[in-house]
Amino acid sequence: MEKKGGLMEWLDKRLAIETLWKVMMAEYYLPKNINFLWSFGVLTMLVFVILVVSGIILLMYYKPDAKMAFDSVNKTIMMDVAFGWVFRHVHAVGASVMFLVLFIHIGRGIYYGSYKAPREVVWITGFILFVLMSATAFTGYLLPWGQMSYWAAQTITTLFAKIPFIGPDLVIWIRGNYIVEDATLTRFFALHVTFLPALILVFTAIHLYAVRIVGSNNEDGIPMTKEEKKKNGIPFWPVFMAKEYFVMSVFLLFFFYLVFFNYKFAMDPINFQPANYLQTPPHIYPEWYFLAFYEVLRGFFFSETLGLIGFVLSMFLPLFLPWLDTSPYPYVSGKHRPLFKIMWWIFVADFIALTILGKLPPTGLFAWLGFVASIVYFLFFASLPIISYIEKKKVASGGGQ
Amino acid sequence: MKELKILLVLIVIVGVTYWGIEPLAHSIMHKHIEEAIHKYHLPDYEFSDLGSTPPLDGDAAKGKEAFQMFCASCHGLKADGIPAPMDPKTAAASFGVVPPDLSNVTSFTSKKFLFHFIKDPAKASEFKKIAMPAMGLQDEQIVDIIAYLDSKAKKVHGAELFKEACGRCHSAKYQKIYAETPPDALKKYLGKVPPDLSIIMKAKGEHYLVAFINKPQALLPGTSMPRVGLNKEATEDLMHYLDRIADPHKEQRVKVGLIVLAYMLVMVGLTYAWKKKIWKNIH
Repeated sequence: MEKKGGLMEWLDKRLAIETLWKVMMAEYYLPKNINFLWSFGVLTMLVFVILVVSGIILLMYYKPDAKMAFDSVNKTIMMDVAFGWVFRHVHAVGASVMFLVLFIHIGRGIYYGSYKAPREVVWITGFILFVLMSATAFTGYLLPWGQMSYWAAQTITTLFAKIPFIGPDLVIWIRGNYIVEDATLTRFFALHVTFLPALILVFTAIHLYAVRIVGSNNEDGIPMTKEEKKKNGIPFWPVFMAKEYFVMSVFLLFFFYLVFFNYKFAMDPINFQPANYLQTPPHIYPEWYFLAFYEVLRGFFFSETLGLIGFVLSMFLPLFLPWLDTSPYPYVSGKHRPLFKIMWWIFVADFIALTILGKLPPTGLFAWLGFVASIVYFLFFASLPIISYIEKKKVASGGGQ
Repeated sequence: MKELKILLVLIVIVGVTYWGIEPLAHSIMHKHIEEAIHKYHLPDYEFSDLGSTPPLDGDAAKGKEAFQMFCASCHGLKADGIPAPMDPKTAAASFGVVPPDLSNVTSFTSKKFLFHFIKDPAKASEFKKIAMPAMGLQDEQIVDIIAYLDSKAKKVHGAELFKEACGRCHSAKYQKIYAETPPDALKKYLGKVPPDLSIIMKAKGEHYLVAFINKPQALLPGTSMPRVGLNKEATEDLMHYLDRIADPHKEQRVKVGLIVLAYMLVMVGLTYAWKKKIWKNIH
């Protein structure tokens, strides 16, 4: 933006692009004590762009019709269209990797206390983006109309039947039929390609705007004013992005390795059999990124209602982190909060355990392990007010950090 | 250094999760399959559960006579100018399934299996509802018939093999191959229309398919897929074919993949150099 005169000046007079560029990029300062985990926000944007581009190309050949969907994906796109298979692989692997990047991005936010004041709006919009992304993934997963697509949709939509009073009617309203059928496919398609991505764009804009206002957190969770960051920090452009491009390149190397050479985890073999409402597959499980929440649902194996409540809580509790954790420590990072750190690592281990258990058959020992792991999941959230209380007392007695 | 430590933690977390949801989960979910494969030593191309056979060195000329007497009322043998006695539709309506033309049957079916099959089709195929009845033939007659069939059989490969070995019940519609027996007849005969095999290799994988075709009841008890006694050579040929039609762009994928990875490696180098340059004066 150094160049003056010509088109840039013309645009600047009308759109103030120079100011915009400064606010968003060149004079947006980040602290220096951040590590490469801070690059994952931009990575989610990169993956989102990859998904949109590959999605648009798939959209040109896909047929949202229960009779044609499976063949349009597995024959037309995978076999007939030149390089159609590349775009399908990219889209399927991209959806999976989006959640990997999101989990790391969210995990970084929790560990370093980025959800705490004054970043609540960043946290809330981020959480909404996660829910939207989950809805997009869930609706998109039905589109290939394979066995697992069908039965995952059938199982998850059935959950709504448990909602008091309106439940059974709601399920039919969502499906547009008594079972998952053509009407369900068409409406999921509509949501997947228009409504949900549009909402994601809107909330991404708010998310980024909010970050520009309150600024990035840092490894030590030290609150810094804009002036301090300007003096000691690095500008987003070009310094932070120079590192970001390197992280992106390494990430894309890994991403394309998955796309071309190790894609089976993102395309379940069972889904290469066409949907058949008369034949339930022996094991029904969601894609890996929902397994942890799914396991909480199954974890309370003795009560469907408890399981459903647990499932909803497990997805929505993270939203309330800023108000569960009211610790007065000035350094918000988990690095400087020993109790929080212990609970955090237990939570991470538990999330992995839930994810693994979510795919295994829920019988015998696995059922009990699932139950214990589900309880431990909630322990993290329950412990936050207690940790905050202990830390408050420490501060009051002149101790702490 | 610190960055590498964080990366290492990430790799461990992602690695453990991947191990859990892929290899571990599959080994637990497919345990009964591995157990069946182990128990019956699948694939067993000797079909040892059926016992032994007399020496298979019959007389082809006598076999032809026996064939015309006992087999030709249902089966054709085009290789020797014997046409099928009925058109496929009529045959399917009367028997439930179109009886195969037997021109090349010994080239892809184990002769040992064929002997036991002719003797007792339901037992050898492990499918009680099989359309062919036990003909009550003498061992000698069976051996002669096999010798006759063998004298006419020629090797078939790929799509031809698929049509002869599987194509009476199964379609591969992406290859424009449609089951010889009409779907309605199949549904009546087998209880359901057998799956289309266009991309079955992606759904089931070679390891499972080889064992399943070899002994369907062991892997999927109660299935209406009969054991058909494919020999080793034909099984391998068929697997190659099914893999090719399910994944026609395999070579292209590897080639494009390597180019893209090489490009990304260069990008890693370039972006690292740029990062170094920009960050030289920072710290």
